[in-house]
Amino acid sequence: MKSYVSDDMIFALATCVGKSALAVFRVSGEGSIASFASCFSKPERLLAAKTNTLVYGTVTGVDDVVVSVYRKGHGYTGEEALEISCHGSLASISLMNEKLSQLGFRQAEPGEFTFRAFLSGKIDLTQAEAVNEIARSQSRLSQTLALERLGGALSARIHRNRDLLADAMSVIEVQLDYAEDEIGGDTSFPFDEITDARDDLAKLADTFRTGSLIGQGAKIVLAGAANAGKSSLFNLFLKTDRSIVSAVPGTTRDFIESNCEIAGINVRLFDTAGLRTAGEEIEAEGIKRTKALMRSSDLLLYLVDSSDPEDGYESISERLEKEIPGVEKLFVWNKTDLPSAFEMPEGFIELSVDSAEGFEALVSGIVSSLGMVSDSNGCELLIESPRQHRSLVESVRSLDSVLSLAREEECLDIISVEMKEALDQLGYICGELTSDDVLDRIFSSFCVGK
Amino acid sequence: MDYDVIVVGGGHAGIEASLAAARTGFRTLMVTQSLDTIGRLSCNPAIGGLAKGNIVREVDAMGGQMGKLIDATLVQYRVLNRRRGPAVQAPRAQADKFSYSRLAKETLEHQQNLTLFMDTVVGLLVEPDGRTVCGITTGRGNRISSKAVVVTTGTFMDGRIFIGEYDAAEGRLGEEGAFGLGDCLRRMGLETARLKTGTCARVDSRSLDFSKMERQDGDDPIEPFSFENHVNSRVQVPCWITYTNERTHKIIFDNISRSPLYGGKIVGKGPRYCPSIEDKVVRFSQRDRHQIFVEPEGSGTVEMYLNGLSSSLPEDVQNDFIHSVEGLENALVMRPAYAVEYDFVFPTQLKLSLECKKYDNLFFAGQTNGTSGYEEAACQGLIAGINAVQKIRGEQPLVISRTEAYTGVLIDDLVTKGTKEPYRMFTSRAEYRLNLRHDTCDLRLTPKAAAFGLCSEQRMANLEKKIDLISDLKQCLLHSKTGGMNAVQALKHPEIDLDKIKDDVPELMNYPEEIRNIVQQDIKYEGYIKREDRQVERFDKLDNLIIPPDFDYRAMEGLSQESREKLEKIAPSNIGQASRISGVRTSDIALLMVYLRRRNG
Ligand SMILES: Nc1nc2c(ncn2[C@@H]2O[C@H](COP(=O)(O)OP(=O)(O)OP(=O)(O)O)[C@@H](O)[C@H]2O)c(=O)[nH]1
Ligand SMILES: [Mg+2]
Repeated sequence: MKSYVSDDMIFALATCVGKSALAVFRVSGEGSIASFASCFSKPERLLAAKTNTLVYGTVTGVDDVVVSVYRKGHGYTGEEALEISCHGSLASISLMNEKLSQLGFRQAEPGEFTFRAFLSGKIDLTQAEAVNEIARSQSRLSQTLALERLGGALSARIHRNRDLLADAMSVIEVQLDYAEDEIGGDTSFPFDEITDARDDLAKLADTFRTGSLIGQGAKIVLAGAANAGKSSLFNLFLKTDRSIVSAVPGTTRDFIESNCEIAGINVRLFDTAGLRTAGEEIEAEGIKRTKALMRSSDLLLYLVDSSDPEDGYESISERLEKEIPGVEKLFVWNKTDLPSAFEMPEGFIELSVDSAEGFEALVSGIVSSLGMVSDSNGCELLIESPRQHRSLVESVRSLDSVLSLAREEECLDIISVEMKEALDQLGYICGELTSDDVLDRIFSSFCVGK
Repeated sequence: MDYDVIVVGGGHAGIEASLAAARTGFRTLMVTQSLDTIGRLSCNPAIGGLAKGNIVREVDAMGGQMGKLIDATLVQYRVLNRRRGPAVQAPRAQADKFSYSRLAKETLEHQQNLTLFMDTVVGLLVEPDGRTVCGITTGRGNRISSKAVVVTTGTFMDGRIFIGEYDAAEGRLGEEGAFGLGDCLRRMGLETARLKTGTCARVDSRSLDFSKMERQDGDDPIEPFSFENHVNSRVQVPCWITYTNERTHKIIFDNISRSPLYGGKIVGKGPRYCPSIEDKVVRFSQRDRHQIFVEPEGSGTVEMYLNGLSSSLPEDVQNDFIHSVEGLENALVMRPAYAVEYDFVFPTQLKLSLECKKYDNLFFAGQTNGTSGYEEAACQGLIAGINAVQKIRGEQPLVISRTEAYTGVLIDDLVTKGTKEPYRMFTSRAEYRLNLRHDTCDLRLTPKAAAFGLCSEQRMANLEKKIDLISDLKQCLLHSKTGGMNAVQALKHPEIDLDKIKDDVPELMNYPEEIRNIVQQDIKYEGYIKREDRQVERFDKLDNLIIPPDFDYRAMEGLSQESREKLEKIAPSNIGQASRISGVRTSDIALLMVYLRRRNG
């Protein structure tokens, strides 16, 4: 945890510089309202304003502004706070920056507003992480996910599983709290409950790859023989003529990188030098780099020029699998508007970059290869934070050993060490831990002798 | 000053507190209402059991007496849960209740620096500063001064017993309650409330038909509670098992309105875990039978204890339902079951040292703090006795962590969370059970006791020898082969134990049985013990973040009102304890951590 100071007034620009028509400044901390009122055209109105209301006025020498007022306990941080909207011009923004500093506000550290919200109990840890991601994320899908988490969907899902496991734990504990001969017959081991929770948590953990792809952007590399149409497809995705397209094979000598969005997914797209037997020195270097790039990609799009009898695509998938193992791959049968030199092998996606025919199918192919449903509205809850992922994986690992120990009929007290680890890890995800709610469950659902 | 330490009460907490103070060289006075009832086993005549057996051994490891008392007076001994894992095995013994309390009194009488005195304590003396306790006043008008006072009044403070419509101002059947002290404490501004507990009927063994019951024999040989005693063998008596039936339940159900519990006469809250038979019948109406243990009260008496039939119903109803049980058809009741209601002091008013927050040099221990059980009382008595002495010495109190002993779990739970019902120890209350095994209590705790002068040099030397033997045997196993692997690897297989490999590793048998057992458990569960050690490490981190005693929560901004009030009330001594206070928000704990870090630069 960063050691933020939490008793002074902070401010930050909440919108991007130079991008939008409006700029919003956020200020937070006790005394914020009074301090800001001293530069405001209608100080009494502001001072008297109730929480969650708007006040319109002018900041002397800066701009006309609309101020949203949050009294202590109400705003995002839970502290007394304001949101000040002014014009989005660079001039207004820098004047406002200066003004707020003069008034005694301190420029907030990254994440400091969220930290204060966490401290005041407004949000829990999973929500705090989500906020962080919204601030970082650029694409739409990513924002939906982060927003869902902010609403507590992740906490709710974790809690559901934790409840399930705490119940199972109480079944185990009740047998440990009473001697063998004191409770009537051994209760059966709660395999089903534990398995259900384990599977659900494993599913959640599995979304981490996808989640982090969405959060950080998926790395997609276009590769193929020279002249296959890689640069053309690159431009089609970008909707600009970024990469030089020409009928001369070997046009692209080194890779080109650009950010774009594919079906709402944030993507870093790479156009590369064509793979063919190297003629010139410089190109050989380019091919080496292309291969390195392919190895590090989340998805490899391999293009074949279907009209070129010399493209050499035969058994390409086997060859690639050997050379670049473990990377998700899609094979594209390009230039279908031209007469085909061969019959299309199985598993290829047909495309004509020129006519854009087959482009939609390619996009949905990409989405599913990245392990996502294409409909970004109905998207599933995904894990993006490495911290959460680590805890989930640990928790699933512990539950796996709980189940296998139980199958081997190992002692319950040993099993409960692993159960506790699983529960602890889930507790860490939400930043809270328990241990005494188990006893309560024991007494509410069991009758035990002395 | 008449004495250094005065201990009020001669029960299991009082015994340990007095001995601990006297043994460390401090002039100690035990004041009790009756010199004839010291160390009574008022409820069932047994010591130990799950988690409780561990506590007895913890007390012994720290120089307490309970383990030695029961070792000398037991008539049946069993290790519970032998089939289960190492963390939840525990010894339990039936005592000859007469010998037990006679030996307890004898031990006290022969203790140097300890004086016994029969009188009823009705008040406390407080220095003119208004916050330092300096003695007691008694029913017969005695004023006795001391540097510290330990209150261990058990169920006697404003005690009242109930049997159906009958009630009496008694702390135990036939023994007058203690009146005056409760009022005094309340006048001093301490909060008290009522708790209720109960005990079972005693019947004449000659009137029972044992042929209709299951016989339960003790284990042989006996692995003693005290680490200073050795494995031995002796003649034991059996216990018996029988069950209630639907007829029993119907009798109880039909007469439930005659129970003072249901009639509203008893206001104190009873324990959920050791409910009276009427509670069990009402709350678990789906169960068609409940188990009853018929236990001998001793070798010199025909009285037998009907464990599981605690009740406060009128005697005629008790007779009826007892007679409905198989084997008890003709049972002759010698003492009826009864409920007892008494005052306890909210333990959240105490520090982890068991000293009162509001009054210096005043300590509380045992049932007075809301616990139930002899063992729970004993471990508190020991800690309170040690800390009374530490206070007089002007030294740091002994605080046992939750990761070291059930004693630590118990005291931390009491002072951090308080209790609304008589608190009984369960293994599930402890987070790290593998660390709290009963056979390793001395390894964990005896060195601590030595630092307080509660452990002889001889004992420390024996402990060191034991530690050496353990590591010797482990080395020996590591270098011995059996079935194509080294013996340590072999032992990790569930079906292999030391007994199976003794032909391959004959040196094994040169080691005492207790050493072999410890080594076997250590090896078998090594992986899990390591895992738990890591958990303990995480846990201890928070417990090691100390909150200064003078910490001002008011000066801390952003703390929620609710959390602030709770933190001020409990005044936790570290972040770990703070995080266990119910109702304090995680985010407030995070805030507290940030503040403390800033304070420390
Ligand atoms: N008819 C037709 N021509 C295409 C299609 N896609 C690309 N081309 C043409 O194929 C030629 C090569 O295209 P590029 O995009 O430069 O190919 P490249 O794979 O980047 O080639 P290098 O950079 O040289 O490796 C250009 O003349 C494109 O216009 C298509 O779908 N149909
Ligand atoms: Mg190109």
